[in-house]
Amino acid sequence: MKTETEVLIVGGGATGVGLARDLSLRGVSTALVEKGDFASGASGRNHGLLHSGGRYAVSDPVAARECIAENRILKRIAPHCVEETEGLFVSLPEDGVDFQNRFLQACRNAEIPATLLSRDEALHLEPNLHPDILGAVKVPDGAVDPFTLVVENARDAEAHGARLLPHTTITSLLVEGKRLRGVTIKDRITGEEGTIEAPWVINATGAWANEFLSLAGLRIGMALSKGTLLVTNHRLTHRVINRCRPPSDGDIIVPNDAVSILGTTSVRVKTPEDFLPTTEEVDLLVRETSRMVPQIRDARLIRAYAGIRPLFQTEGANDDRQISRGFALIDHGQRDGLHGLITITGGKLITYRLMAEKTSDLVCEKMGRPTPCTTHLRPLPGAATRQRFSERLKKMNRGFSVEGGEILCDCELIQRNEVENLLKGQTLRDLQDILHRTRLAKGTCQGGFCVYRLLGLLHEAKRVEGDSNLVLKQFLEERWRGIRPILWGVAMKEEELIESIYRGLFNL
Amino acid sequence: MHFDLIVIGMGLTGLMAAKTAAERKKKVLLIGKGFGTLTLFSNTIDLMGILPEEVPVKESLPLWIEEHPDHPYGKVGMEKIEEALSSFLSFFPPPYTFQSRNGANSLVPTGAGTLRPTYLIPSTMMKGIGLREKKALIVGFKGYKDFYPHRFSDLFRCRAMTVDLEEAHGAEVSATTLARWMEEPSFRQRLTEGIKKEWKGEPLLGFPALLGLRDPMVVRRDLEKRTGASIFEIPVLPPSMPGMRIFNTFREKLIRMGVTFLLGQSVSRLLLRGDRCEGVEVAHAPLVNTYTGERILLATGRFIGGGLRADSSRIEEPLLGLPVTQPPSREGWFEEAFFASSGHPVHRAGVVVDSMFRPLNEGGKPIFENVWVAGTILAHHDSLYEKSKEGIEIATGYTAALKALGG
Repeated sequence: MKTETEVLIVGGGATGVGLARDLSLRGVSTALVEKGDFASGASGRNHGLLHSGGRYAVSDPVAARECIAENRILKRIAPHCVEETEGLFVSLPEDGVDFQNRFLQACRNAEIPATLLSRDEALHLEPNLHPDILGAVKVPDGAVDPFTLVVENARDAEAHGARLLPHTTITSLLVEGKRLRGVTIKDRITGEEGTIEAPWVINATGAWANEFLSLAGLRIGMALSKGTLLVTNHRLTHRVINRCRPPSDGDIIVPNDAVSILGTTSVRVKTPEDFLPTTEEVDLLVRETSRMVPQIRDARLIRAYAGIRPLFQTEGANDDRQISRGFALIDHGQRDGLHGLITITGGKLITYRLMAEKTSDLVCEKMGRPTPCTTHLRPLPGAATRQRFSERLKKMNRGFSVEGGEILCDCELIQRNEVENLLKGQTLRDLQDILHRTRLAKGTCQGGFCVYRLLGLLHEAKRVEGDSNLVLKQFLEERWRGIRPILWGVAMKEEELIESIYRGLFNL
Repeated sequence: MHFDLIVIGMGLTGLMAAKTAAERKKKVLLIGKGFGTLTLFSNTIDLMGILPEEVPVKESLPLWIEEHPDHPYGKVGMEKIEEALSSFLSFFPPPYTFQSRNGANSLVPTGAGTLRPTYLIPSTMMKGIGLREKKALIVGFKGYKDFYPHRFSDLFRCRAMTVDLEEAHGAEVSATTLARWMEEPSFRQRLTEGIKKEWKGEPLLGFPALLGLRDPMVVRRDLEKRTGASIFEIPVLPPSMPGMRIFNTFREKLIRMGVTFLLGQSVSRLLLRGDRCEGVEVAHAPLVNTYTGERILLATGRFIGGGLRADSSRIEEPLLGLPVTQPPSREGWFEEAFFASSGHPVHRAGVVVDSMFRPLNEGGKPIFENVWVAGTILAHHDSLYEKSKEGIEIATGYTAALKALGG
């Protein structure tokens, strides 16, 4: 396979697909390669916080301003991916009110709407908060569904002519003198090889930025910081709950549909593949977040997961929380004398659109075709059919029927028909592709039963042949990474059941 | 009421202990909040699945025990293991019985399309052995979500079909429902008609293990007569109908032998005096009933059964607070890989007993004068890895009861 494009984007995270959409809307021919599924890296492994900017108001006013601006834009262009929950920054006795005062002032400076609440007012809004809190500050934090956001950007980019190639890796760079001319690629599932010729290649690989740049013998200063998060099996608060103190471990609780996400830690790692949550991190998160919401101590956790923040390093800062969460746009023609290559890295999920805008501006200018950005004005395709969680729940109940077939996932009540329709509609290429696009394996048992059933369905439909137990084992091994550190109490019981099935009964 | 022996836990261990005592004319109380893992996983009787298939376990197991003196089997001994298995088998005379092939482990096909080593196999599963060399049609049921015949047949290179049953009305059907339907001749007639639509004369028909709860051999013989093919069962996801058959048989026979059954009830408190346990309290809101006994046998299982409980730092035995030997911290409970080749250390945690099956304190001294502990709650085994669960339950339930009775 040989193909040509004006711009080739590497990386299918929020930034990559955001770029594909932005450039396509500007009429630039675009292709995107992603080594796995969309949002497989940090874009899909975060707390799903729609930042108000409050978190950075004191430490990083520039980032805070970017956040609140993008917060407003996302609510407009992607209302279906956002739940406008509001957020509270709560002060515990040990935090004192000094930081709260600085925080309020900083929010005002960054033009983040912030309202001071008394202890009683805060407890009235969020009865599960620790009764000892001194008070809270209300900000427009929210929750965002990162995967839908990424897929929606991808869908719109495709509708405007972008070519998206997931499950594809770049095997080498085609360089002519001081210019990058394109890349050679390989399909990770079929093994098929090909070439993409492109005068402009944008490295939007997030934590993998240096892995990609090493193909050109280049390197940028980047710190990789692992952030671990926990998922509870029910939603503990209506709003996002932050600790009102300088950013540190275990200071946030984000509601996400029917569950809550507890975060985060910050651990320096060497490779972007090192995202194993540890027992120690889990204990720390439970200890810290339960200071804000005591119920967490007895909550049933269903999973731990970790993502890698790509932090752009301007100088040798030691504490990763001190490194700016702002982004970096690097023109390797200027920096390294390799023309046609641009890296966009750093940043946050919430600023993906802004990062895409600035990068597209740069590329268009370099191509001599300056065109204005429209992504802040044009809603994503699904925005018209906006559905809040409560509305989706209602629809789910209506959709639940005898004709829907047996319930494959008892945790999330997913019927056979729903899965069969999904399989019909799309080009899904591996188990992860399917799991990413359903609620299968998202509930309390984390796929302990439904993935076995899904494989059964795939054999029945002749979509899979041969020994799918290898896939099943791989899934269980992957699942284990998130389960192992949270095993105690009821979870321990349930895991004994799962292990007795797969290692015992089925002797896998 | 006063009993000679109070058994807490109604899994296979508790049932065997009750049987052993009842056969010796003792007055037995059996209390259980559920059926334990018996009705979840016990399709066949595992003894020590990691031993080779070619050698009779009579030869290989004694050598293994010698190398693992701490293992519960080390405390039972080969002779008593065999006695215990015979005692179990006495409840299952042919036609529905459990057999080994040549006294050794055999590989039985499972619902996941894998082979699993086990020792005693119910009569309904025997013909599934050596399936790869046979021509078979595997039958599944529309609406039954825990067995996928096409996945199974892709792995065993045979043929598969799904029967669409009119009585299901297109809805979901559970294993228990199917097993009950199987007991109706009219259902078997319709099933046979359904199968014949796609049957290409394969001499062997494989079904998920749902051939009735009460009399699977009658169900099988009738289906064999109607189809003219040989029939075998395949163990599937919980619940386990073969396990329920074991439970039902025990319950019926033990009640006939005079054992008092308290099913669905849990012990709320033990009556302790000095180093004796004088009885149990069973909360049956709003009443609390007290039962006294000469001897108490604890067979409460592991985490699923509630015999062991874990908080975020330690594993405890909740009923008597017995010491539980365990890895030093939670980090050491599980290996990093789910399919770790040696099994997870947490499975070896449990209650330590002496050769009499009396629980020991950290100093190695018996804690109670009249309390015995048996089954998977015991330390120093990994029944998942070893494939030894039913063997441990039968052997220790039997032996601990004998020891309790002074045998």
